[in-house]
Amino acid sequence: MLAAAASAVPRLRLAAPSPPLRRAPGRRQWLLPRRRPLSSSVPNVTPAAGAGELEPPDLPRLANAARISLSPQQAEEFAPKIQQVVDWFGQLQAVDLESIEPSLRAGTAAGSSLREDKPETFANRDAIVEAIPSYDDPYIKVPRVLNKE
Amino acid sequence: MPPPLQAHRLLISHRRIPTPARRRFSAVSSVQSPPAKTLAPGPAASSILSIRESLLSGERSAAEITAEYLSRIRRTEPSVRSFIHVADSEAVREAEELDRRIASEGKDALGPLAGVLVGVKDNLCTANMPSTGGSRILEGYRPAYDATAVRRLREAGAIVVGKTNLDEFGMGSTTEGSAFQVTTNPWDESRVPGGSSGGSASAVSARQCVVSLGSDTGGSVRQPASFCGVVGLKPTYGRVSRFGLMAYASSLDVVGCFGSSVSDTATILSVVAGHDKMDSTSSSQNVPDYASELVSLDSLESKPLNGLRIGIIQETLGEGVDSGVATSIKAATLHLEQLGSVVEEVSLPSFSLGLPAYYILASSEASSNLSRYDGIRYGRQVSADDLNELYGESRSNGLGHEVKMRILMGTYALSAGYYDAYYKRAQQVRTLVKKSFEDALKRFDILVSPAAPSAAYKIGEKINDPLAMYAGDIMTVNVNLAGLPALVVPCGFVEGGSAGLPVGLQMIGSPFSEVTCVIADI
Repeated sequence: MLAAAASAVPRLRLAAPSPPLRRAPGRRQWLLPRRRPLSSSVPNVTPAAGAGELEPPDLPRLANAARISLSPQQAEEFAPKIQQVVDWFGQLQAVDLESIEPSLRAGTAAGSSLREDKPETFANRDAIVEAIPSYDDPYIKVPRVLNKE
Repeated sequence: MPPPLQAHRLLISHRRIPTPARRRFSAVSSVQSPPAKTLAPGPAASSILSIRESLLSGERSAAEITAEYLSRIRRTEPSVRSFIHVADSEAVREAEELDRRIASEGKDALGPLAGVLVGVKDNLCTANMPSTGGSRILEGYRPAYDATAVRRLREAGAIVVGKTNLDEFGMGSTTEGSAFQVTTNPWDESRVPGGSSGGSASAVSARQCVVSLGSDTGGSVRQPASFCGVVGLKPTYGRVSRFGLMAYASSLDVVGCFGSSVSDTATILSVVAGHDKMDSTSSSQNVPDYASELVSLDSLESKPLNGLRIGIIQETLGEGVDSGVATSIKAATLHLEQLGSVVEEVSLPSFSLGLPAYYILASSEASSNLSRYDGIRYGRQVSADDLNELYGESRSNGLGHEVKMRILMGTYALSAGYYDAYYKRAQQVRTLVKKSFEDALKRFDILVSPAAPSAAYKIGEKINDPLAMYAGDIMTVNVNLAGLPALVVPCGFVEGGSAGLPVGLQMIGSPFSEVTCVIADI
């Protein structure tokens, strides 16, 4: 039944992520999360510099990335508080962390333990479906997915 | 309103899991002194063992015990407000079912937690019972399954009496961050119970339930335990399955528990701990029967602690710590010395760096974990013309102020160009913090400190100043960064309220040495 339904539904184009509101020349687009050394992505910053040398949080852009709608007034309200906390984070810039390995986790577990890759039918599927706000069996309904240019 | 549990004179066991290089210590059980003057006639059935005895002897039925707790909840909730949801009809039904089984099967019907009423923090999923995480975005949500910790409690015979209030998704230290209600401290209703597991702590303190489950990411079990004068345990990371715990920061979250005595807390831990195939970060390490390590006080010699090496963390008793708190801690350590332990001060380098590192890591992980609240598969949906707007509006409408702040900060810290400056550096600080604890725990068996720089403060006092609120977590976050176990027990009082405000002693051990230690209140 699902296969028939799938062929009947026109293929949807996935929404492209919205472009950032501003792009400084030479800065990589924020959407691509690959790590890059600071010196190549933000020309004037060296790793040991104070936090003030990093560009301050651009609230509208961050809100867009986090998919949280913020009105201009809300953005104005949040901005100084976030700036304050980010400045406080900046004290880590002053610490000498040369040759210290980053820790991914608390580190008390040696390797990860994976369970057997064996499919099981979940007993309470009804409750899962019940929780869906907009459901039209067998589809989860969403509004149109716009491709913004 | 009945006065909360007094921090009675406790002599509690210390027992470390023996490893070849370590010494064994004799164990002591928790002992209650005669109740202090303001104590209401405490129900003897407030502890797991005495409930069990009552059920076995037939002196009380599960239905009677449940009715008593539900009646106390009805009387005290208008002022304490520990519960977002009280499952009264389910609790009554389960108690009656238990009584029927006792009648037909006798004591075989009694699991280790038979008839014990538990409160569950609302960020732990309970099947078919509302589970909101303290947030409007999950208002009305009923999970399809029980969290593993909840399922194990139920299998042991416990009765879930309700879902307790919390700061939204565990983010906060006062429980004022709940989208639904403000919980008050049973010791003084103008003060906070602590957070984020404030409701779980206050429920045990006000005797609305016997024990409760909470979660601890940066101190969210230990600080409310200290503020509310109850025992709180944060197990080693990986000791208890996180399956069904709404994730805040996956590398820091643990499921913890509250009780009115160390032995009750130990019993809960034994029941919920252990490997779970549904949580790949859960440990396969063997689970000892913690409560059985406790022996009667009478069988002890005069210096039961026998050379136990205790290190007071220097950085936690200096500037910025309330003098009353420092006095209580020092008095507790003096008592520990009288019982035979060796107490010294120890310095942990990098201690103060742990706080910004914690907030960077926690906010970053939260920004990822909370992206699942999109209004599509569960929770509250705000309709919109296109998908991105639906996400944006649903999240903006459903998520609270502090949660949005942390998501935005986390998004910033993880964005390209900032990752190295913030997240990676925080991970490096985490390595330093872990190492400094490891080094200290080679010289000492346990480390002690307060659980918070002050006793409970007034409701509304810290709500507008995020940094002031974060500063209060200094005593607790480093333990989460290092993944160590820590137990908080009431050890004294400071001035405030009508009967004083409780202060808790935090005891930190090496991984999987869920320790209990000897202390006494002032």
